[in-house]
Amino acid sequence: MILVPIYQLMVCPYLEYAGATDETDRTAFDEPRAFCTVIDEFVQPMRADICNDRYELSHEYHCEIYREHTDGKDEHAAEKSE
Amino acid sequence: MSYENYLGDEPLIVTAAVTGGVHGKEANPNVPETPEEIGRAAAAVEEAGAAVIHLHARKSNGERTFSTDRFQEIDDAVREHTDDIIIQHSTGGTGASDEDRHLPLRTDPPPEMASLDMGPLNRYDHLTSENTRGLVNSLYDEMQERGIKPELEVFNDGHRNEVFGLLSRRDLDEPVYATLIFGPGTLTRPTPQNFLNAIEDLPDCALFNTLGFGRHQLPFAAMGIVFGGHIRVGLEDNVYYRRGELAESNAQLVRRSVRLADELEREVASPAQAREILGL
Repeated sequence: MILVPIYQLMVCPYLEYAGATDETDRTAFDEPRAFCTVIDEFVQPMRADICNDRYELSHEYHCEIYREHTDGKDEHAAEKSE
Repeated sequence: MSYENYLGDEPLIVTAAVTGGVHGKEANPNVPETPEEIGRAAAAVEEAGAAVIHLHARKSNGERTFSTDRFQEIDDAVREHTDDIIIQHSTGGTGASDEDRHLPLRTDPPPEMASLDMGPLNRYDHLTSENTRGLVNSLYDEMQERGIKPELEVFNDGHRNEVFGLLSRRDLDEPVYATLIFGPGTLTRPTPQNFLNAIEDLPDCALFNTLGFGRHQLPFAAMGIVFGGHIRVGLEDNVYYRRGELAESNAQLVRRSVRLADELEREVASPAQAREILGL
């Protein structure tokens, strides 16, 4: 897999842009796409906006994957596990 | 709209929602994203029987954009590839500013139709698409100025109140066109009972369009056909053809719904017939 780091402030630290993967059953894209290194998957376009803190979105606030992966565990996930 | 409309042979308007803004090729590689891909998808769904195409705009890497220029490129491609299909732009956009939400209305010429979300919608675990009444009013007003027919997107039962509220605030042209959306989360729970209640509880001046998310696309299309409404299908709302099998194309989903209508002896509307029904 070829991963391209994003050198911008504010984007999610787990965001990379990947053009292809070594796995034959995974899609290869013409242009690099948002890839979440926590879940090891390409992310949906709307999630990519959250990863990049575009519009009025914030990965720290809006992304449950980021929240679950950081020390402050996700409250919603805790509720679901109760 | 009712079972009597079905018995009365009102033609069925099929809308194809070909790309959406939430998921892309990571979910199904057959989701069209570039203007050229969307143009070719438009030709295929028109050939299959869709009278309306519902459009979102994407950047070249598949990510969302609301820019007028990108919608213009997409419209140009759709017009190049199709004969007469009705173009409907999405004005939806979770997290996007109110100004961004207006941009899809500003192509030249403007789209004949545009979506107008009736209220909030939860996304993932920590995100809500707000769709305030102020935004609804301002989007509606610009649609009115530019001669664009609003497609009122009703995510849940409370949003039917918002339809009545919009009717009290603004003088909408008849027929009002409301898309009733069934599925998980904030959407109306996808049960036949709720479908019947929803179509019963619309204003008399409204036609309804039926949209079931995911596995509910096919059965809710069937109900829409039988109960005299119209239907929306496509990869925006459902990336599968059947359980565990990705859809090959938007046209494949349109063809299935047209076959269903044919079996149920409901004529499928051409774009010209759809314009007449919708009062465009």
